Amino acid sequence: MSAMTGYTRRLLAAAMLLALAACSTTKIASLEEPTAAPMTGQTNDPAPGFENVAAGSEEDFILNVGRRIYFTQDSATLDSVAMATLDNQAIWLNKNPTWLLKLQGFADDSGSASKMQTLSQKRADAAMAYLVWKGVDARRMWAKGYGNDREVRDCTERSCRVQNRRVVTNLRAQPDAA
Amino acid sequence: MVGTRREILLGGLALLGAGAVHDSALAVASSYFAGTAIDNGVTYRTTNFAKIDKRWRRQVVKYFSSEPVGTVVVDTRHHFLYLIMENKTAIRYGVGVGKDGFKWFGRATIDQKTLWPQWTPPPEMRQRHPDLPEFVAGGSPKNPLGPRAMYLLRDGVDTGYRLHGTLDPSSIGKDSSSGCIRMFNEDAIDLYQRCPIGTAVQVLPHIADQAESAAQVSQATPVQ
Repeated sequence: MSAMTGYTRRLLAAAMLLALAACSTTKIASLEEPTAAPMTGQTNDPAPGFENVAAGSEEDFILNVGRRIYFTQDSATLDSVAMATLDNQAIWLNKNPTWLLKLQGFADDSGSASKMQTLSQKRADAAMAYLVWKGVDARRMWAKGYGNDREVRDCTERSCRVQNRRVVTNLRAQPDAA
Repeated sequence: MVGTRREILLGGLALLGAGAVHDSALAVASSYFAGTAIDNGVTYRTTNFAKIDKRWRRQVVKYFSSEPVGTVVVDTRHHFLYLIMENKTAIRYGVGVGKDGFKWFGRATIDQKTLWPQWTPPPEMRQRHPDLPEFVAGGSPKNPLGPRAMYLLRDGVDTGYRLHGTLDPSSIGKDSSSGCIRMFNEDAIDLYQRCPIGTAVQVLPHIADQAESAAQVSQATPVQ
C-alpha cells in the first residue's frame, strides 16, 4: 500500500517536472546523466553512498544485483548469463516497486553508425521484453539505444570492445523528459 | 583469552557426555557455513558472512589506479580482487591467493567460464598430493572449484590458473592456494555474471596505489 503511494508520488513529481521541462530542457538533460563529483580520498575507501548499503537502495542494486548484461558481436540475443542477471534484476525490481528503470543499450563499432544504433536499440528492447516476461510492469521501464556513442572507451582490443556490447539497467526516480 | 574460555567450555561440555562435545566440535568446524542455497540445480552450503572479517566481503570502493573499466585486477599482497567500474570506483572482493612458491603474476583474459566446473587436478599437484583423485565431478561437495570457474588464458594458451569458488571460506584473505584465485562461492557466482568472455585480468603483486602499504606489510612480516 505504502509502495503504491510512493509510486503515485513519484509519478506526480514526474508530471510536475515535465511541466517545468517545457521551458528548461537543458536542466532536464543534466538531470538524466548527472556528472559525477570529482572523487577525492584514497583507494579502498568506501565509494560515495556505499558506506552503509540499505536494502532496496540503488547501491544495493549495484552491489548485489548488477546493472550490466553483455552481448556477443553483432548479436542482440540474451545468453544464459545475461538471462541470469536479468532474473536477479526482476526479483529485485518486483521487491522494490517504486523504482523506475531506463534500459540503455550500447554497441561497439563493428558496423556503420546506423547499424550500431539499430543493434543497441534491439539489445535494450530484448532486455526490457525479458523483464516484462519476468513480471516487471512495462510502465516502469523504457529502453533507448545509444549506438556506438558513449563507449566505455574507444578501442580496438577485444577486452575493451566486449565492454561496449552491453545493456545497462539504470534505476530512475522519475521518467526522462520526452 | 577467548580461546582459553572456549576450551574451558568444551571441557565442561565433556563432563556432560561425549556426544555433546562431538556436536559442538562439529558446530565450530562448520560455522563458516550457514544454510544452503540452490544454484542451477545444485544445492551448496552458503557462507556464514557473520563470521567473516568485513574487509573480505564484497564492497564498492574508490579506486585510483589506472586500469581501464571492466578490468579484473588482483592485488596478491593484500588479498583483494577489483572489478574496475566507472568514476574511479571498483567492486572489491576478498580472495585467497597462491602460497609461497605458487604465486603467479601477469596479464591474461577470461576466455572460458563454466558453471559447476569439473576438476581435474594437474599432474604436478597429484605428485605432491598422491591422495587426490584423477577427477572430481562438477557440483560434488568435494570439488574445490565450487560453483564457478573463470579460465585464464594468455594469447589463447591456458595459463592453468583460474578464478573460482572454494570449499574453505576461512582461506579467503590468505596465501593458501596453488596459484589459483579463490573467492567465496557467492562472490564467484557474482563475478561470473559481471565478466564477459574477453575480460582482461591483471594479477599484480599489489596495485600501484598500495605500494606504500605493501612495503609496510613486507617489513612487518617476520622472516620465517
